[in-house]
Amino acid sequence: MSRKKSTPAPDEGPRPDLTRVLEAKAKTLDENRPEALAKRAATGHQTIRQNITQLIDPDSFQEYGQLAEPAYQKLNGPADGLVMGTGMVSGARVGFMGYDYTVHAGTQSIINHAKADRFLHLVESLRLPLVLWADGGGWRPYENNINSRDYEETFAMMAQLSGLVPTVGVVSGRCFAGNANLAGLCDTLIATRKAALGMGGPPLVEAALGITLTPEELGPAEMHEACGAVDVLVDDEREAIDCVRRYLSFFLGPGRSSDEAPDTAALRRLVPENPRRAYDVRKVIEGIADLDSVLELRPRFARAAVTALAKVQGVPVGVLANQPMHQAGAIDSPTSDKLARFIQLCDAHDIPMLYLCDTPGLMVGPEVEATALVRHSSRILNAAVNATTPFMTVILRKAYGLGQYMMGALPLKPALLVGWPTAEFGAMGFEGAVKITHKAELEAIPDKKARLERERELADGLRAHNTALGLAGRYELDDVIDPADTREVVIRFLGSLPPVPPRTGRKRTIDNW
Amino acid sequence: MSREIQSPVTGTVWKIEVAVGGQADAGDDLIIVESMKMEIPVVTDSECVVKEIRCSEGDAVTEGQVLLVVDP
Repeated sequence: MSRKKSTPAPDEGPRPDLTRVLEAKAKTLDENRPEALAKRAATGHQTIRQNITQLIDPDSFQEYGQLAEPAYQKLNGPADGLVMGTGMVSGARVGFMGYDYTVHAGTQSIINHAKADRFLHLVESLRLPLVLWADGGGWRPYENNINSRDYEETFAMMAQLSGLVPTVGVVSGRCFAGNANLAGLCDTLIATRKAALGMGGPPLVEAALGITLTPEELGPAEMHEACGAVDVLVDDEREAIDCVRRYLSFFLGPGRSSDEAPDTAALRRLVPENPRRAYDVRKVIEGIADLDSVLELRPRFARAAVTALAKVQGVPVGVLANQPMHQAGAIDSPTSDKLARFIQLCDAHDIPMLYLCDTPGLMVGPEVEATALVRHSSRILNAAVNATTPFMTVILRKAYGLGQYMMGALPLKPALLVGWPTAEFGAMGFEGAVKITHKAELEAIPDKKARLERERELADGLRAHNTALGLAGRYELDDVIDPADTREVVIRFLGSLPPVPPRTGRKRTIDNW
Repeated sequence: MSREIQSPVTGTVWKIEVAVGGQADAGDDLIIVESMKMEIPVVTDSECVVKEIRCSEGDAVTEGQVLLVVDP
C-alpha cells in the first residue's frame, strides 16, 4: 500500500493567473521601462523607484496601489504616477509617497488622488512619519473630460498631519501647483539644486501676466533657500536621501547616533574678549553637539539666528541661537518667524530645546517696523510660552531687552539657565543707554570718532556692573559655567528630564511659515 | 590669480588692518566692518598679499561689496 506524500510538487512555475499578475507588476518597474529611465537620466535625475531603493531598507517596502492605472484609459501610466507604501528607514517605520515624474510629469490624477487619500489616512491611523517626494506638475489636464470635481482629500489630509506625525518633503526637479502645495504642507522641505518650485507654473504665469519663463527661472531652488521656503538645499538626490535619513533620526528618540564628542575645549576661545567682536555661533553649536550631528534648517534665510537639529550623547535637541555675524544677532521679522516655527516643530515632536543667547535685542528702525515686527516678534513668545517641551538656555554674551527675553529668559521658565563668563545683561544695549543718559556730554564732542570712543568708554563702564558673576549674585542665573563644560551641562539637563509620555493625539500644529 | 574680498554685511568700515603690499596669514583680520554696533572681522582663509584696497575707514558699505583685492 502506498501512501501519498504530502511534500509539495516540484516547481512547475506560476500558473497563468499568477503570471498575468506578475507581468502587470513587472511593467511598472524601471527595468521594463527603458525609455522612461533614459528620459530621467537625460536630465540628470533618478527615478522615483531608484530613490525608494536608496532610502528604504531592503525588502521592507510594502507598496500600495502598484497596479493602479489612469482613469483615462488612453493614457499609459504605471501605478498611475504615484509610488507609495510602508517601509523601514534605518530600522524605523515610515510611510513613503512619491510622484513619478516619468508618468505624465508627476501630475495628480483622479486615481492617484484616490491612492494618496487612502495612504494619508493610513499614515494618520498608524502614526507613520511621512516622506513625500513631491516632484510633479499639479493636476493632470487630460483627465478634465472625465471628472473635474475637486473631491480629493489629499491636501486636507496632508494639512491634518501637521504636528501629528513628522513630515518631510523632497523636491528634486519641477514641482508646481498641487504638488508644490503638498511640499509646502510638510514640516520640513529638502530640495536639490536642480529643483524648481512654485504654486503657479509657467503656463499660468504666461496666461495671467504675459511673461514667458522656464520653471527654473520662475522658482529656482536657491531662491527658495534664501526666502525660507526650502529648509535644506542639497546637491542631488543621493544627498537628499541622506538628509531625509538624518532628519528622521531626530524624531525617533534617543540612541541613534554615534555619540562622539566634539572638541569642547575650543569653546573657551570662541567668544572674543572684545564684546563688540563678532564670531560664528555655528562653531559653538559644533562644540556642544555630537560630532557631525548638526542639521541646520533654513541656513540662508533670516541669518541673524541659527536653527538646527542636533544630538547630544545621541539625544535629539533643537538648537536656537542668535548669530552675531549677521545684524549682530538682532531679531527682525524673518528671524522671529524662523525661531517661532522651529519652536513649534520641536515642541510638537517632544524634542527638548537649547537656546544660545547673544543678541542686542530686536532690530530697530522704520524699515523693520514696516515689516510688522510688532506682530512677527510676538510669534516667538507665543510659540515658546505655549510649548510644553523642556528647554535650557545658555547666555553666551549679550542678553539685552526683549530680544533676550524671547531667547529663553527666566520668565519663560527654562529648566536650566546658565551663563558663560562673557555674559552681559541689560534691559537695553549699553551704547543705546549711554546715548540717552549722557546725551549732552556726547553731543558736545565735535569729532565723530572721539565721540564714539567716549560712548564706548561709558558703555564699558555700565557693562562692568552687569557681568555674569553679578547676575549670578542676584540669582538671575542658575550657574555661570566654563564654556568648555557646556556639553556636559547640556547632558545633565537632558538627564534631568522625565521620559516623554506616549502620545496618541496631536499636541499642536506646526505653522507652515 | 587675485581674489576679491567682500563685505559680509551692510555697515561702516571701522578699521583697515592692512596696507597695500602687506602680507596676511590665514585667519588674519584684514578689515573690520561695523554693523549694529558689532565689529565683523573680514578675514582671509589663506595666506595672501594685499593688492588693492577699495574702501576707506568710515565708508558705508553694503553686503557683498568688494572691500579689497588680494593675491593669490
